[in-house]
Amino acid sequence: MPKLKDVFIQGYGAYIPSLRIKASEIGRVWGVGDSELPVKEKAVNNYDEDTATMAVESAKYALARAGIDRGRIGAVYVGSESHPYAVKPTGTIVAEALGVSNMTLAADLEFACKAGTEAIQIVSGLVSSGMIELGLAIGSDTAQGRPRDALEYTAAAGAAAFVIGGKRNDPVAEIEASRSYVSDTPDFWRRSYERYPVHGHRFTAAPAYFHHITSSVKTILGEGYSLSDFTYVVFHQPNTKFPFAAAKMLGIPPEKVEPGVVCHVVGNTYAGSALLGLCKVLDRAKPQDKILVASYGSGAGSDALVINVLEGIEGKRGLAPTVEDLVGRRRYIDYALYLRARNKIRLQ
Amino acid sequence: MRRVYAVGASMIRIDEYWGESLDSLASQLVDGLFSLAPPKIDAVFVANAFGEVLQSQSNLGAIIAEDLGLAGVAAYRVEAGEASGAAALHAAYQSIGAGLADTVLVVGVEKLSDASPEEATAALSLSERYDYVGYQGIPQQAIASMMYAQYLRRYEVPQEMVAQIPVLMHEHAANSPHAQYRFKISLESVLSSPPVAEPLRRLECAGLGDGAAALLLCSSDALSSIRHDEVAELAGMACSTDVVTPFDREDPLRLGAASRAFEEALARAGTDRKELKVLEIHDSYSIIGCLILESIGLSEPGKSGLDVKRGKYGLGGELALNTFGGLKARGHPCGATGVYQAAELFLQLTGRAGNCQVDDARVGAMINLAGLASCGFAAVMKVRGV
Amino acid sequence: MRSIFRPPASWRHRSFRYRMMVWRCVDCGAVHNYRARRCRRCRSGRIGEDQLPQRGRLLFYTMVRTMFEGYEHHSPSPAGIIEFEDGTRILALLTDCEPEELREGMVVERVFRKIAEDGDSGVIVYGFKFRPLLTQGK
Repeated sequence: MPKLKDVFIQGYGAYIPSLRIKASEIGRVWGVGDSELPVKEKAVNNYDEDTATMAVESAKYALARAGIDRGRIGAVYVGSESHPYAVKPTGTIVAEALGVSNMTLAADLEFACKAGTEAIQIVSGLVSSGMIELGLAIGSDTAQGRPRDALEYTAAAGAAAFVIGGKRNDPVAEIEASRSYVSDTPDFWRRSYERYPVHGHRFTAAPAYFHHITSSVKTILGEGYSLSDFTYVVFHQPNTKFPFAAAKMLGIPPEKVEPGVVCHVVGNTYAGSALLGLCKVLDRAKPQDKILVASYGSGAGSDALVINVLEGIEGKRGLAPTVEDLVGRRRYIDYALYLRARNKIRLQ
Repeated sequence: MRRVYAVGASMIRIDEYWGESLDSLASQLVDGLFSLAPPKIDAVFVANAFGEVLQSQSNLGAIIAEDLGLAGVAAYRVEAGEASGAAALHAAYQSIGAGLADTVLVVGVEKLSDASPEEATAALSLSERYDYVGYQGIPQQAIASMMYAQYLRRYEVPQEMVAQIPVLMHEHAANSPHAQYRFKISLESVLSSPPVAEPLRRLECAGLGDGAAALLLCSSDALSSIRHDEVAELAGMACSTDVVTPFDREDPLRLGAASRAFEEALARAGTDRKELKVLEIHDSYSIIGCLILESIGLSEPGKSGLDVKRGKYGLGGELALNTFGGLKARGHPCGATGVYQAAELFLQLTGRAGNCQVDDARVGAMINLAGLASCGFAAVMKVRGV
Repeated sequence: MRSIFRPPASWRHRSFRYRMMVWRCVDCGAVHNYRARRCRRCRSGRIGEDQLPQRGRLLFYTMVRTMFEGYEHHSPSPAGIIEFEDGTRILALLTDCEPEELREGMVVERVFRKIAEDGDSGVIVYGFKFRPLLTQGK
């Protein structure tokens, strides 16, 4: 597959809601000890936040960094497994709230946790083909975990957005290549009308997460890259262990993975997970750094992206809050307030 | 225009009437009004604010006319939010003044006990712009509380001053037969009552109840043909509006609708504020009571609470304020409130205010507001011949 | 009464609620948050669209403790009057803050939030709220 032609990240933006619940607080309720907890804490959307509002906030920051006229945005793609409506696009809400042109492509994507990288791939294709000048690719989720389930400790809320376009405006980075690997693997799903997803426990590991991520990474390495080309490697982060375990399988030193890990303090933000990791790396990367991103979505598939950091990063980084700023803005809530924020208390 | 006289009034005590509906509340007024032979009535003006939203009932003109035994008479329902009562009175005043009617009955009726606290809050907030304020879930009391915050900051007065108003209202209501809350309260209890929207506290907000009141008005021509015991002249009445949202006005603490209506009503009545002995104002919230007194020039800006504390507005003071307890303690059956105010003025000027009677009450006025003074009505009533 | 959110009502106000687009008098500068065709201050018929800034100052605030039916999840909620550089004042809900963090005069910024939901099956109403600056000094 040829490399992408003239596809650049003009701006990036992260959003993490302010509420946090400690995994130990959830463990307290269900009698689970600290040694068994998959993350330290996770971000929780407040009662007035959903996938659409978080997508808007992250996109505002991406647009602030891009410094472009919103009227030139020609596509708004929002990837999520928690779109506010089952039927009615999130993309139109986001486009309207941002004030982008009405003459825009808008669509919602769903592929468990990898809908965000898909959005990047689609917008990259549109830009590369010349169909649009600039587009927004967003991953945003307010993921639900069934109370007491293992996912309750990690299912979190967050979003990341990217303004993608041709080589103008001193871009932040270049998206150089992209490959995907998919197979029909039922490791995690949510049927229509069901409130909570179901997962296959240990089946989500070897045949699912690890097989797909290592496959997509090996596929893209086949395009003529070597692991030593990359300064940073960002993986999807369903928990703190998995990205490091995947790195070990591929022979990637943990130092290259650690800078892009956010899940220990934010949780698994699903479609936002790998993208928040990418934002965190962009917050510190230097021009000429090369970043490998590999997302994972259950069901299952992995998208691998090769990103070259450019000079524009230096001037644009400071134009919006960093991931660290967002992680640092936090207010801890107990399980009762968590239930309230997540609308899990029946009022009627 | 022709002179307009009030010749009869009737009120029920404001309360929670679980067994009564809007129409049966109004029908209780008949005995008080027509104990003498019922006159020929040309029109009925029914004031009500929330019939549609709380009782699923509109067309209250025809319905109330029938319940009063007046089917056949021209009848109108008048709505101007919490000033519906004064708006109906104004309509009656104009129709008699213009010579289009000789005898008009003004009825105010409202039933708030059917509403949950959330519904009552929402109903009161209908006077504010829904598409701007209401849809956000922000109630009227929250806007009033921020006017309150601005007031405390601008004049550097403590909340104890503003909170004098509800204390005085309860003092006056203690002797008022038709008041909802016939007991005194202390300043401490006001200040320690639960916050509604800081700094505003529960006991600084008007009591919301069910009520019905009526006033019978007639022209000088009809005066001779009506058997009546007492007469007062509705000597002047006026209405003024303002920018709806207080913080969109040049100065949110100046209630222009109240002051303009008040000035014009005094002018029409050919009298001066110095002549006033009785004043019924729209103290929907303690702060609104203060702002009215200051906006119409009876108290210096920031000094109304101090004036209350010093006794200026007591029953034996310079100008008796809300002599039956006002909206706070007599009660605030929203659409009917203005009719209660007019009926109370009538009782004062005809010397039948009982324990609430103000000595030498020959000229009185009322101010009834919709929303946070987006619409204001003022009326001046005089003893006949003054 | 039920809080019924009629879809056309949310829809026709979306530019103000989503982006704080306002109608400004070309002659006197007065701002209207509804589609004014005549200026409420100077009666001019020359009205243009404008957008209020992202940031303003919190003039006054309060805690709303009784909200309407349909807003139970939001109650209690802080609300405030925000003043912009041009003197325009807006009444808005505040979010992402505890009441004790609020100060008269503090800078707040606009965010896009969920205002209400019409039960589980009706429309979701979105609009502006304001919050303390996410990062001080940025």
